[in-house]
Amino acid sequence: MTVTATPNGFDLDNGGRRVVVDPVTRIEGHMRCEVNLDENNVIRNAVSTGTMWRGLEVILKGRDPRDAWAFTERICGVCTGTHALTSVRAVEDALGIDIPENANSIRNIMQLTLQAHDHLVHFYHLHALDWVDVISALSADPKATSELAQSISDWPLSSPGYFRDIQTRLKRFVESGQLGPFMNGYWGNPAYKLPPEANLMAVTHYLEALDFQKEIVKIHTVYGGKNPHPNWLVGGMPCAINIDGVGAVGAVNMERLNLVSSIIDRTIEFIDRVYIPDLLAIASFYKDWNYGGGLSSTSVLSYGDIPDHANDNSAANLMLPRGAIINGDLSKIHEVDLRDPEQIQEFVDHAWFRYDDETKGLHPWDGVTEPNYVLGPNAKGTSTRIEAVDEGAKYSWIKAPRWRGHAMEVGPLARYIIGYAQGNPEFKEPVDKLLTDLDLPLPALFSTLGRTAARGLEASWAAHKMRYFQDKLMANIKAGDTATANIDKWEPRTWPKRAKGVGTSEAPRGALGHWIVIEKGRIDNYQAVVPTTWNGSPRDPAGNIGAFEAALLNTPVAKADEPLEILRTLHSFDPCLACSTH
Amino acid sequence: MPTTETFYEVMRRQGITRRSFIKFCSLTATALGLAPSFAGRIAHAMETKPRTPVLWLHGLECTCCSESFIRSAHPLVSDVVLSMISLDYDDLIMASAGHQAEAILEEITHKYKGNYILAVEGNPPLNQEGMSCIIGGRPFLEQLQEVAADAKAIISWGSCASWGCVQAARPNPTRATPVHEVIRDKPIIKVPGCPPIAEVMTGVLTYMLTFERIPDLDRQGRPKMFYGQRIHDKCYRRPHFDAGQFVEDWDDEGARKGYCLYKVGCKGPTTYNACSTVRWNNGVSFPIQSGHGCIGCSEDGFWDKGSFYQHTTDTHVFGVEANADKVGLGAVGVVGAAIGAHAAYSAIHRAKLKQNGDETTPAATNEGDKQ
Amino acid sequence: MSTTTEELQREQRRRGVPTTRRTAVYVYQAPLRVWHWVNALSITILAITGWFIANPPPSMPGEASDHFLMGYIRFFHFAAAYIFAVGFLFRLYWAFAGNSYSHQLFTLPFWRRSFWRELWHEVRWYAFLEPEPRKYYGHNPLAHLFMVVIITVGGLVMLVTGFALYSEQTGLGSWQDQLFGWVIPFVGQSQDVRIWHHWGMWVIVVFVMLHVYTAIREDVMSRQSLISTMISGWRMFKDDRP
Ligand code: HEM
Ligand code: HEM
Ligand code: NFV
Ligand code: SF4
Ligand code: SF4
Ligand code: F3S
Ligand SMILES: [Mg+2]
Repeated sequence: MTVTATPNGFDLDNGGRRVVVDPVTRIEGHMRCEVNLDENNVIRNAVSTGTMWRGLEVILKGRDPRDAWAFTERICGVCTGTHALTSVRAVEDALGIDIPENANSIRNIMQLTLQAHDHLVHFYHLHALDWVDVISALSADPKATSELAQSISDWPLSSPGYFRDIQTRLKRFVESGQLGPFMNGYWGNPAYKLPPEANLMAVTHYLEALDFQKEIVKIHTVYGGKNPHPNWLVGGMPCAINIDGVGAVGAVNMERLNLVSSIIDRTIEFIDRVYIPDLLAIASFYKDWNYGGGLSSTSVLSYGDIPDHANDNSAANLMLPRGAIINGDLSKIHEVDLRDPEQIQEFVDHAWFRYDDETKGLHPWDGVTEPNYVLGPNAKGTSTRIEAVDEGAKYSWIKAPRWRGHAMEVGPLARYIIGYAQGNPEFKEPVDKLLTDLDLPLPALFSTLGRTAARGLEASWAAHKMRYFQDKLMANIKAGDTATANIDKWEPRTWPKRAKGVGTSEAPRGALGHWIVIEKGRIDNYQAVVPTTWNGSPRDPAGNIGAFEAALLNTPVAKADEPLEILRTLHSFDPCLACSTH
Repeated sequence: MPTTETFYEVMRRQGITRRSFIKFCSLTATALGLAPSFAGRIAHAMETKPRTPVLWLHGLECTCCSESFIRSAHPLVSDVVLSMISLDYDDLIMASAGHQAEAILEEITHKYKGNYILAVEGNPPLNQEGMSCIIGGRPFLEQLQEVAADAKAIISWGSCASWGCVQAARPNPTRATPVHEVIRDKPIIKVPGCPPIAEVMTGVLTYMLTFERIPDLDRQGRPKMFYGQRIHDKCYRRPHFDAGQFVEDWDDEGARKGYCLYKVGCKGPTTYNACSTVRWNNGVSFPIQSGHGCIGCSEDGFWDKGSFYQHTTDTHVFGVEANADKVGLGAVGVVGAAIGAHAAYSAIHRAKLKQNGDETTPAATNEGDKQ
Repeated sequence: MSTTTEELQREQRRRGVPTTRRTAVYVYQAPLRVWHWVNALSITILAITGWFIANPPPSMPGEASDHFLMGYIRFFHFAAAYIFAVGFLFRLYWAFAGNSYSHQLFTLPFWRRSFWRELWHEVRWYAFLEPEPRKYYGHNPLAHLFMVVIITVGGLVMLVTGFALYSEQTGLGSWQDQLFGWVIPFVGQSQDVRIWHHWGMWVIVVFVMLHVYTAIREDVMSRQSLISTMISGWRMFKDDRP
């Protein structure tokens, strides 16, 4: 048993009982988590392992940069489109391509659609069961449920009869003995705190949200032709606009714009009248469960996104904040320069990759991706039957990105903290309101629940911003500008022999960057540093732990053989493992 | 005895009358080539049979097949999951994790031996000891093989499971391998697409549950009903193709009028999928309708067929990449020039020989040769 | 290994190299000649329409319903393709029904050393390293090789890939699909078939250029008639030497 203090301020103790959760479910992709519990079942060491790798960075080499968006989009189908957007931005940055104003608005609408959709699905379908006991919902009183629902929202689907129908359906489902996705859940675990009525309400909205989410993404379908995996274009967007000309029906026209507009309205409504009230209601029962802060109170990072005007990447033009906070000093927001080789670096000494010198990190423009699957000497089991990994050696398919050497948390909470610290009312006011509503102090934000809450606030923010950009698009069209693509530098012969670019975005899960090197019209190097690469990062040569591991520490677990609390905190990051390793 | 919501009940709840239910059953009987008397039996089975367990495994993938699945509008995915199938394992949405999750596979594969459907999203890698996809500390391949062993049938969701998809694109660093190349003794229904259309996914699944058989498959194992024709065959921009009206550049006049996207690389003519008919997201649009060509996302190896923006794509053989038109035009130029030069030299050569009065010598040499 | 004169002469007889004085031989019978010109025409149409299928002309103005440009281009391609296909079958039949020169297109004396020796001679003739070519009743070995590889094998590839592509529009279950549908997964997928079909065009185009050039050149420079042979059927020799 050894206790180690990490440079980023955590104490690790790998004695006690080692508990393994593999597969970690209700996440995107494959992940393993190992923790050490002390005699009080408190987590004293946490090890998170990315358990998949596909090698997209290797596959992209030698390809046409204009095709890259489609490849990178397939990094993930959950945050679908965000990699594609980041990729076209990287290529445009490298080649100096400006995009039309309309393309900027449409891209923003698509990115915001993703934020709203992804957050909603995450909350209800990936995260809710960590807080909501489905079986307990069976014993709820539909009438009391209705009263509860009506007390928190004016959402019309809230009659006693409505809840009774759902409950009946649920009952028959459970009684059938075929529990489907709810099989072997941790029902009845003491960590569940909601009264049956709140559980019934949440399960009902689980189903409603499942039916509704498919509507939101139709915005991608209008502008990008499908969802998941809509289409993008270097230099703009592929959807032409034609409002009054012959053949207008073959392009984005009044009917299409109206369709998007109506979906935006319904999205705003669902988020503000179902998601946010549910979030508040559930949170109010878990106020005391204030674990899981991890890195959020010390080191957070955001690249910023949602440019108001096209082709201006200055922080002032970005509606989501940009900056880094370190050492918990909210009064100082550091500039982030993605081109500076000293700022962003990736390490692999604990990851299943090979560098010539693994004591050093590499800036993504010089990044190397070469697999090297080996277990450390203290691992238990065999290489194809892992019982326990050795976190002292290589133990994950995720590289370890660092900003000026710091492990950083990224995501909605990071963005809200930075926005809050900047005093930006768009982020500060909703946070203050949330804290007032729940009667919690600011530090309560730095927690599992804070992360989940920030995501909800952001979903609402994103939905309202969709409206802003849709209106902006309409106004621009009204002013006579219908351009959607710039083809001046479409042909490779117009490109320089060698060019480097970086594209960034704020994906639902956090700061995303793609770095590209183009040589003679082909991709010479392509590196992605992804939100879950940051959050799910393994250790680095200095011993810093990543956001997942940090957040798990010091959390008491009610039942050592039921990893409910572990799931809860991991899920609050909305881990995306396909993204993290790519 | 607990009551299960049966297929019949689901149909009733969805507003289907008893009469049309019975009609549906007799149609089913006819479709199956059974005597009309079987309709009653089918009806009985539908009214009583428990939901078929579906074990949905994820290998190397991007989860967008699942994301697509939950977009299904008819049937609603909530109805599929709650009432039509028993989705007992799907690590994307299941409540349990770790040991409890693994225990489910153990239980269902035993209890429903030979009676469950295995749905696979993604594929197993064979490089890195199979450990570039680890589930429960073991290679995904092992989990796949174990669950496949007693499955009734396997559905390969999406291009990953069907063909390999993006991770199998050159140089396929993990040796990601489609399902049919590692499981050879089970019926496999390929539902390709990156991802497949939601209603196609639920359509294939409900077809299997309703008619209790595997849909008619084409040579490559895809259901004919959704993959029997190319995008191009039913594309609403086809009149523009036939007329010779094309988008020549992005956002040009043709793009705004909805002309054919062939010249900007549309792969509709070489892609088998239902996009131009079923369309996406409950019929809202599909790639071509929104102005981008089809990239061929349901086709085997579509990532390695060359640019998405060229009709005549590059060919990649023996590590050499070449474009037919570039090479062809080049060859025609070179050969043309060579012919010209050869012709000219031939004329000079002949004139020279004539001048020298040498015309008879060759025969002599020839004679000489023969001796 | 040495060859006796007798052996050589026997072989030459077999190969159709004239050893005695003849001024004219009837080589290409009428059906074959007709086939040649029909085939030449169909391939020309196929290559031109094929090029435009892959690289359509600039967009037509006006309404889609007023035009059918691609439709016609494709129609001519398919019409020519059927002529090409029927011609191919006929030519196959004629290899049995016609005179001894008619099987040359489908047979290659691959294992015969003299064939390669004479082929080399022909190459040297084109490289101006031989003072004159030999005389042949049928094809010279170099032409023969190219005819077999490009026209027979290449033509077959074009037919098979072409009909496989055609089966995509006639649909599953059509005879085109039943006979040629297997080609698509065999080659890979639809796009692969298309691109190999496309490569095939270039191979044939280059062959035709060389073929036409050599036909004209040899008509002028060799010791025998060429073009008129493909018109009248008679091979005329310009000298009396063997
Ligand atoms: C698309 C164009 C053409 C194709 C595919 C083609 C193909 C062929 C084929 C397959 C043969 C062998 C006939 C047999 O033994 O069955 C042949 C012979 C011949 N072709 Fe063509 N031909 C083409 C155009 C032409 C043209 C334009 C000329 C005249 C300028 C020509 C002159 C000849 C001659 C002279 C022969 C006899 C060669 C010999 O005796 O060795 N061809 N051609
Ligand atoms: C010498 C013979 C032939 C030549 C040179 C030729 C050439 C071509 C070329 C260059 C293409 C365009 C391919 C692309 O899109 O990149 C094409 C397409 C096609 N060819 Fe041929 N072809 C030949 C014979 C045939 C035959 C025998 C058939 C049988 C029916 C055929 C059927 C087709 C079809 C169906 C297409 C696709 C047309 C479409 O879908 O729009 N071709 N051909
Ligand atoms: N991590 C991650 Fe993503 C997101 N959000 C991408 O950039 O999820 Ni699939
Ligand atoms: S087939 Fe495409 S969409 Fe489906 S999981 Fe694979 S990469 Fe994602
Ligand atoms: S847009 Fe594509 S699928 Fe549609 S007609 Fe044109 S080439 Fe065919
Ligand atoms: S890209 Fe895929 S989604 Fe359909 S239109 Fe083409 S098959
Ligand atoms: Mg990377």
